[in-house]
Amino acid sequence: MSVQLAPSANRAIPRTTPLAAPPTAGTSTSVTSPARRRVSAGSLVLWTLLGLLIIAPVGCFLILAVSPRVFQQGPEWFTLRYVREAFSGSTLTGIVNSLWVSTAVALIATVLATTIAWLVQRTNVYGRRTWTVLTWLLLLVPTWTMTLGWTDLLQPFGVASVLGVNTGWLYGEFFGPTGIVVVLSTAALPFAFFIVSAGLRLLGPELEDAARVHGAGRWVTLRTVLPVIAPALLGAFTISFAETMSDFGVAFTLGYHSHFPLATFTLFSAISNFPANFSVAAVIAVVLILSTIPPIMLQSRVMRRRSFAVVSGRTRAVRRREFSPLARVGVTLALAMVYLVALGVPILGAGIGSIVQNLGVYSSGAVHFTTAYYQQILHPAIVGQGLGAPLMLSNQIGLIVATLTGVVALVLARRLVNTAGGWSQRVTDVFLMGSVAVPGVVLGVGYIFLYDQPFITGHLVNLYKTLPLLMIAMVASSLPGQTRFMAGPVSQLQPSLSEAARVHGAGRLRAWRTTNLPLVSRVLVWGWLLTFTKVIAELAVAQILYPPSQEPVSVTIQSYLANNLLGDGTAMTVVTLAEMFGVIGLALLIYRLVAPRGWRRVGVSELGS
Amino acid sequence: MLTVLAGVVATGGALSLTKNASASPKPTLVVYSAQGYDKATVNAFIATNPGFKVTLNDNSTGPLLQQIQAEGSHPTWGVLWVDGATAFAQLDREGLLAKHVVPKVNFNKVGLANIPADGSYVPTGVTATGALVYDSAQISKSQLPKSWAQLSSSTFAGKIGMNDPTQSGPTYPLIAGLMNYLGHYTGKGSTAKAVKAGESYLTTLKSNGLVINATNGPTLGALASHTISMAIIQSSAGYGAEISTNPTFRVAYLSPATALPGVIGIDGKMPMAVQAEAQKFVNFVLSAKGQHVMQTGDPQGDSLFWPVISGEKNASKVMPPLSSVPLQTINPSIWGALETPVNNWFTANINNG
Repeated sequence: MSVQLAPSANRAIPRTTPLAAPPTAGTSTSVTSPARRRVSAGSLVLWTLLGLLIIAPVGCFLILAVSPRVFQQGPEWFTLRYVREAFSGSTLTGIVNSLWVSTAVALIATVLATTIAWLVQRTNVYGRRTWTVLTWLLLLVPTWTMTLGWTDLLQPFGVASVLGVNTGWLYGEFFGPTGIVVVLSTAALPFAFFIVSAGLRLLGPELEDAARVHGAGRWVTLRTVLPVIAPALLGAFTISFAETMSDFGVAFTLGYHSHFPLATFTLFSAISNFPANFSVAAVIAVVLILSTIPPIMLQSRVMRRRSFAVVSGRTRAVRRREFSPLARVGVTLALAMVYLVALGVPILGAGIGSIVQNLGVYSSGAVHFTTAYYQQILHPAIVGQGLGAPLMLSNQIGLIVATLTGVVALVLARRLVNTAGGWSQRVTDVFLMGSVAVPGVVLGVGYIFLYDQPFITGHLVNLYKTLPLLMIAMVASSLPGQTRFMAGPVSQLQPSLSEAARVHGAGRLRAWRTTNLPLVSRVLVWGWLLTFTKVIAELAVAQILYPPSQEPVSVTIQSYLANNLLGDGTAMTVVTLAEMFGVIGLALLIYRLVAPRGWRRVGVSELGS
Repeated sequence: MLTVLAGVVATGGALSLTKNASASPKPTLVVYSAQGYDKATVNAFIATNPGFKVTLNDNSTGPLLQQIQAEGSHPTWGVLWVDGATAFAQLDREGLLAKHVVPKVNFNKVGLANIPADGSYVPTGVTATGALVYDSAQISKSQLPKSWAQLSSSTFAGKIGMNDPTQSGPTYPLIAGLMNYLGHYTGKGSTAKAVKAGESYLTTLKSNGLVINATNGPTLGALASHTISMAIIQSSAGYGAEISTNPTFRVAYLSPATALPGVIGIDGKMPMAVQAEAQKFVNFVLSAKGQHVMQTGDPQGDSLFWPVISGEKNASKVMPPLSSVPLQTINPSIWGALETPVNNWFTANINNG
């Protein structure tokens, strides 16, 4: 069973897809042999690509867990010393913390996302499209900027203090496990939301109606319906779990400051010493990757036990539940509160924090507002230390990486869907989910191990310390998530569409352009935006692999924040976020102007706007 | 795949690719540096020596050392320039540094004390780690502790902050210096007693409410918000805050603070032609012109060091004469080897304990 980030993930889909007639004995050989050859060639190319992008670099890092000598990181060809070391002291604490936090976050995100998805899709709550768009924005905002916003807000003499709100009681709570779970839950919410939304969208009203007809109350009705969308719920849980396990932004900020170690931070810590302990870091990375297997196994087990096929050609359109006017306002306000906490508070915190003079500095006098930080970052006293060049560079990198990732992810998603049910699909599925859990720092250092090897630099291609290598690593970092994102919409493409086009004389490309592209154009745009924004905010890979004199904006911001230049760093974050949102708006505007109207109507319900 | 790679390579090239791929006979020198004035220094070097090809890899000390270690026996760096000699001592042990690279210049006493016997690296300036940076709006100079022993007394409970040695480069040398001093380590024999003395001292500070932050930025932020009133960090960070963002901040010294030299070394695995270029760069850094650029390249940050060349003056008037600062120099070879276990102990018992 595949776990998809976006729409129509469940295996009910094949029931609605016209089944191909079984080949006759006489034709089977001639039909399947070329196909098999094509599949084999495709598999070879695909897995070679994945090998170069992800498997080999990550493998180079992971092998150090038991064999540090392979890359001259220790004397042993084989040892379990580092496994024992990783499962002791604060690294063990970090692993345990990450496991329970990720489980809690996955549960919270799934429950919250299911509630919101039900409200948006099945009720007359106000602003249904707005909530979907806000969920998109939540998906695009990196966790470290959320943490920065919360910190600006709650820190002593921070934004809340400036606004006259005493948040001293909340400060201690927030900088601890509670705050970590809250921020990570809001970060995981969009992933869960889009999967559950897809599951709910495919579910007609028949089950609810039947339950009600038989006298079931709300709770029994809920217990009847929820198991039917179990694939989507499990998918939401799994992706939320994997994303949380691999998160570094919160681990590095909230986790560190509250002395609550998470596995990704202990991994980072292991290689922060000199000499770095890459072997212990590798063991932790293996744990992170393996931790995604149990949720996937659980999902597979549940899926094998029973059928969840509920979609048919006769599925009726849903009838929205009508709240009473008072309840409608109340539910809408509750929803607004969720998004205020998840998105509004951190953005407001950072926004206001960037115009307060000496934010976080003790003051008994009046608060002064200033635009000095913006002037400094746009017109720096020292040439080359402003925001302009790094931001421009990050946009260029984002543009290229998002485009490349989109193309490869589309191919991979098609392959994932075409091999549904087979071992290849299961392997790809586990591989993709495991890759989601790979921290950026592992990928970054793995790229050094692999792409600085003399047999590559001397005989194949010397990419080390270049922008192309950074961009390839960014593609590798984005590809697993992007593929899962696209797998849902791609699974909805019926082969008969392009087959019909081919029968009518269209070439392969034209057939795809005229039948498939209209159906996936919207998800391609949103997928492109997702990768673009994640690449601009990405820090771990960027800090390790950026080439000399070409500093991406995330590294610049981090450098300012680490050097007691909170105002400048916050202003940089705000400008970067504003620029990101500007690009999102521009891309959507261009899509609206350029794409035919019919394209834009496809998939509106799940993608919003 | 090849198409993708080719596309990426081509596009990367359009984005002013800096990788050395030229056919020029002149080799490119790659400088790995975490110094705030490195860009100015490289530019001045190129201006003074037309025709030289220098690529600057400016990053924090941690990522630079990670890159060097991951590169292993296939290094791409020609020169490494960061604060602290302990990493250089480790690189020297691994045979990665060229020997006898110290230029013939007139070093002062502190400079001479930080030159290794095999001349495998060179001090380019010195700051003090374990400087007592305090907020004069919270605590007056007369109220400050007079010794390290007083600092750990309950009088100052909840008022002291420091950085995490796993995240802040200058902090391990501070801890090693404390161990060296408190354990009366003479530079010979076992360090066990000194390590114990240091651990005991840090445990006392911890029980008195020591506030740990990752790096100078958050620690100075805690000082600014009155979460703490004193921080034991690197002197240049304190002076930088005093002359820029936090005018009430001051810097004092308990005896002894630990000398933290800015250090430059040459990759001994590079071809001789590259090493020759690297030597010219090192010579420039230690020249009068190079020293001037260092002192002006990052006026509110790393430029606030004391020169190690006789006759050179301080970059800023807020800095006292070097002779008035009670500095000790620790043996980087001995203490560098203990960095990982000491940092692990700190993480387990002080930071997360």
